[in-house]
Amino acid sequence: MDTRWYNDVTIGMEIGPLVKGPMSVMHIMRWSAAMENFHRIHYDYRFATQHDGLPDIVINGSWKQHVMVQLMKDWLGHNGWLWKISFQFRAMDLAGDTLSAWGRVTDTYEEAGLGFVTCSLGLRNQEGRESTPGTAVGVLPVRGGRPVPYPFMLPPRSVVERPAREGDA
Amino acid sequence: MGHSITEAVRAMIGMESSLLIAADAVEAGAIRRFIQAIMDNDPLYWDRSYALTTRYGERVAPPLYPVNAFHRPAKAPDPLRRAFEDPEFDGTGEMIGLLWGLPPVPIDLPRLLNGGNDIEFYQYARIGERLSVRARYVDIYERAARDGTPMVFIVIESKFFNDRNQLLLINRQTLIRR
Repeated sequence: MDTRWYNDVTIGMEIGPLVKGPMSVMHIMRWSAAMENFHRIHYDYRFATQHDGLPDIVINGSWKQHVMVQLMKDWLGHNGWLWKISFQFRAMDLAGDTLSAWGRVTDTYEEAGLGFVTCSLGLRNQEGRESTPGTAVGVLPVRGGRPVPYPFMLPPRSVVERPAREGDA
Repeated sequence: MGHSITEAVRAMIGMESSLLIAADAVEAGAIRRFIQAIMDNDPLYWDRSYALTTRYGERVAPPLYPVNAFHRPAKAPDPLRRAFEDPEFDGTGEMIGLLWGLPPVPIDLPRLLNGGNDIEFYQYARIGERLSVRARYVDIYERAARDGTPMVFIVIESKFFNDRNQLLLINRQTLIRR
């Protein structure tokens, strides 16, 4: 995988999309089996619709979070580091949906010889409806600078403060 | 409003679990099933010769793998036994990867939703490592849904470690009962 350099990143740059789907009940069941999750809303149509009153089998939030992480990890590359990611599951995605994870660079700053990139993220279905708004902070090497440390070490205090977000008290 | 947050519920904020150790070490086969299910075929997860050329030096598990890597030990009772008694059992009881050994919050609301996550990564898990996790209730609060029905938000912070006690990631998950 090629190195992505901080110097080549600009605010507004698009990340992805990373497209998965259409997500059948088979795909959803495969995930539930891999993680040994038996929550019936992810494979039992009668239970999901009649007991829980849902419109269909639900795609696991736990699966969607790996898609968001993959989007950022692949974009940052193996010489970068996905440091922080957060998202809210605001709407359900259902069996039959095709999901596109997308990101956009919202800010860049250099600190302690490393490049920091903040992004907004989302996951939209085939109708363009967003279900999973989020944000991320990635770390990239600066040309001529030091490698991003692995294991990732906290940079100076001024950088580790998480920017205020909607929903913060 | 607010009737779900009893004194007993409020007293659980700040409560911490004991360190929970995964039933099995991280296995190549478990990683394979996992990456096939998330459909992420990154060679860093499965191609040893490729991984050796990277700064990771060895195959790694996907970043969020530890969050889904704690399963029922062979000696523990079968959680699905409840389905024999209760045909409307939702399948979620005793799921390790939900409460991480914390006692359940006594709230009488039948449905469970995953509200979201706030995650920090420091290191990836590797094959052969026995992972551990410690969790804490950081907040429990009630809000009304748009239709006026009560919703209780339960925020659990879990810290995951490898078998050298190095921090892998911190996950703050919001569970919603309604």
